[in-house]
Amino acid sequence: MLKVNRLNALDISWIMLMLITLANALVAETADKSLFITAVICFSIAFKGRRIIDYFMELNHANKTIQLLMRAYFYVFPLLIFLADLFSEQLAVITTT
Amino acid sequence: MPEGKFNRCGMSTTIDNVFHLNGCGQVRHEPETLNKIPGNRAVWVGIFAELTEFALFFLVYFIAKAHYSEQFNQGPLQLNTLAGTLNTFALISSSYFVAKSLASIRLNQPEQSMKWLWRAVMCGGIYLIIKVWEYHWNVDQGIKTNTNEFYTLYYYMTFNHLLHVAWASGSLIWAIFQIKSGRYTQNNHLGLTAIASYWHMVDLAWVIIFPLLYVLR
Repeated sequence: MLKVNRLNALDISWIMLMLITLANALVAETADKSLFITAVICFSIAFKGRRIIDYFMELNHANKTIQLLMRAYFYVFPLLIFLADLFSEQLAVITTT
Repeated sequence: MPEGKFNRCGMSTTIDNVFHLNGCGQVRHEPETLNKIPGNRAVWVGIFAELTEFALFFLVYFIAKAHYSEQFNQGPLQLNTLAGTLNTFALISSSYFVAKSLASIRLNQPEQSMKWLWRAVMCGGIYLIIKVWEYHWNVDQGIKTNTNEFYTLYYYMTFNHLLHVAWASGSLIWAIFQIKSGRYTQNNHLGLTAIASYWHMVDLAWVIIFPLLYVLR
């Protein structure tokens, strides 16, 4: 029944996720703080999350509500990370009692 | 074997009733994740509850970072990036192994499925060992739970996540014994799908925690 020897979606996803993690570690060790770096990291979070959700969790063809909620989580939080960095002073002001 | 129609996602129904599972072979039984809730509703209630808990941690992190920006800028520099990176490798690999295990059981290869699950459990164990080593390393560097707000949040978030890895590893071991005893089979493995979904959630939480604590500053 099984006759696939070439790399499949799971293998490719695993390799991509490992490479992105390695790149993130490199950024952690070498890059200086900047909004650009934050944006790149946020994009990598969104990409990794989507890859795991779609291929490892197999939500790419599952129930649409679950799929939407899970995907949304990994759009909203990377965006919030970026916005929290961009508007940190304003956030500090509005959360000061 | 009748040929089916592939889509770019690698899993699709076909006119000949053959299903392609993320490129991991073809089965004639409709995969339980296709257009359905993977596993069962109960596990998804749990998954969303856990994700909400982590979401609250992240919100606290944003606010704390806004108030203690210097601590949050310097904090990640003092942490052990190698430990964080190795743990990310372990969790991503474990998720991959769990996905492979699910693919194997669908192909009626229970022995192979158990092997993949044992590999996932091993990754969970490696994660826990690295975490313990990291905490010891931290203490040697003078990084404790009350050193400052960043480290308090770091310990709270990572220890909470560690607990999730520990009990999710237990559930993987339980799934292995279910396969071994013949309770999870090619035609009946919704429990394994549920456990796999939960495990992937634990991995997903770390996908956000790792950059927040070790990379961003």
